[in-house]
Amino acid sequence: MERRDKEILVIGGGVTGAAIAYDLALRGFKVQVVERGSLGAGTSGRTHGLLHSGCRYIADVEVARECYEENVILRRIAPFLFEKNGGLFIAITEDDLKYKDFFLKQCERARIPVREVSREEALRLEPNLNPELKAAVEVPDGTFDPLKVILSFAASAKKYGAEFRPYNEVVGFRVSDGRIVGVRVLDKVRVREYELTPDFIINATGAWADKVARLAGVRVPVKPSPGVMVALDGRIGYMVFNRLNKPGDGDIIVHHRGTSVVGTTSWVVEDPDIVRAPQDHVELMIKRGSELAPIVSKLRVKAVYVSSRPLIGAGAATTGREVSRSFAILDHSRDGIENFASIIGGKFTTARLMAEKMGDFVAERLGVSVRSKTSELPMSPYWLYFE
Amino acid sequence: MRYKVVIRRYKDGRISFDTFEVEANPSESVLDVVERISIEKDKTLVFEHACHHGVCGACGMVINGVERLACITRIGDVARNGVVVLEPLRGFKVISDLAVDKSRMFGRYRHVAPSTLEKLELRLNNAVSIPREKLYDCLECGICYSACPIANTFPEYLGPSLLALISRSGNERVPRVVDSRRGVWGCHAAFECSVRCPVNFKPGESILKLRRNIISGRVRVEG
Repeated sequence: MERRDKEILVIGGGVTGAAIAYDLALRGFKVQVVERGSLGAGTSGRTHGLLHSGCRYIADVEVARECYEENVILRRIAPFLFEKNGGLFIAITEDDLKYKDFFLKQCERARIPVREVSREEALRLEPNLNPELKAAVEVPDGTFDPLKVILSFAASAKKYGAEFRPYNEVVGFRVSDGRIVGVRVLDKVRVREYELTPDFIINATGAWADKVARLAGVRVPVKPSPGVMVALDGRIGYMVFNRLNKPGDGDIIVHHRGTSVVGTTSWVVEDPDIVRAPQDHVELMIKRGSELAPIVSKLRVKAVYVSSRPLIGAGAATTGREVSRSFAILDHSRDGIENFASIIGGKFTTARLMAEKMGDFVAERLGVSVRSKTSELPMSPYWLYFE
Repeated sequence: MRYKVVIRRYKDGRISFDTFEVEANPSESVLDVVERISIEKDKTLVFEHACHHGVCGACGMVINGVERLACITRIGDVARNGVVVLEPLRGFKVISDLAVDKSRMFGRYRHVAPSTLEKLELRLNNAVSIPREKLYDCLECGICYSACPIANTFPEYLGPSLLALISRSGNERVPRVVDSRRGVWGCHAAFECSVRCPVNFKPGESILKLRRNIISGRVRVEG
């Protein structure tokens, strides 16, 4: 009863915001989510669609392990959302081959189940791979349709009473005596502004986190880091194709539904709203993608898209409470606003964990002891969001 | 290239057509141009989008009279004399501008709970085969509902993509509603769904196949 009295506003209807809404609603809080566009209209909707095995981040065993654990949880709580076909890391050059022993050792340290497969087997499993490949390792990758995952988190949150308001943009905060006492929202459907008065506000706007936080007079050390992805007009495999080497440009091909997507590049921008795909990045994707699978250069490009990751910038470690090496919760009571927190970093695959940690933070702050249950319960299918 | 983008606006019961002049590369997607208009010219422009590469089905709209996914439609391919007219999908209640309420489609899923994954077998050789999973090519974008003369006039109709998903799932049993006028017998075989489908999922053909399977008893009706 007491928890129901606490109203929490989540700003941002991407995978992080939807997962936070689910976590908090399950804990019994009254939750509202506002999103300036449609659900998934920002970074997470535009992801690659890779359910990480963790192997891409294997240089950091802790981060890799975290990814793998979330991968296992998501497969368990929402099997209907994921193509669970695994992935292959393949070595093409001598340099790639030199990385293999390190890669296998790190996978063992992270306790991620991988298996070395012969060149012949790899080519039987995935005939479109480069026949020049020198080594291959099978990993537990998966793929998904990003919107359906976000909607499933949202449907699960709605089941426990959360309310979603897409096309509602936060345009200002009223701050008084070290608290946000009012949140001004623009409703784009009715074209009117109104005010919400939640007890606690969570800024889950990712690459936009600093833009939103500045409206309340505080800063978030987020570095919007776009990456270019190229979707091909055709599907060229089932297992995710990865380059067996340190993460770099154009070293991964993810397949879902009827398409395969080559990614990605990485640079840093000031404003995540003003990003276009540089043509040379597209050419680089095709060139590097063709090294993994020569057929890439023969297919028509169906779409080119850019997504801005919310990388943690310098300063987060000192101003924030880093709950993980891959994401950070920033407690703005340190900046003089007691009922406001931001969350940045992370990956689509770890959204549920990010939400769990944010839920712990909010519960502690509001003096409620109830733990997260999102890892135990099956998720609702996305179609229930529309009921 | 300079384009005139005319957008049907719907705000609080009022309809209008607004024209935006934009500079765009002909190879840019209609969706990227719409997003830029919403950021640079009118932040109250309401439209649905997510993946930007043709897998999520959010951005279906009527572009110069034809249902398309805005994210995989190049503006230079569809503009006529530099003009692109954008309207929401038909057959759905409009939320605002280009965004429609898809509960007319997803709200029917509860009756049939379709499968989301196609189960496939990859044969390595005569002795060994490996199971593979694939999300259906169908994006659940609603374009086939917009194109279908029945879905547009008969709100209780389950609809083309949903019936096609049931047909493709290969289940041996289907609920009674599928074998009714709300289900496969509502279809008038106009095949507009198959013509407009952005991923060639062929809902019309799948519905007729499901009919044959129900008549022959290969698919049993329950309830």
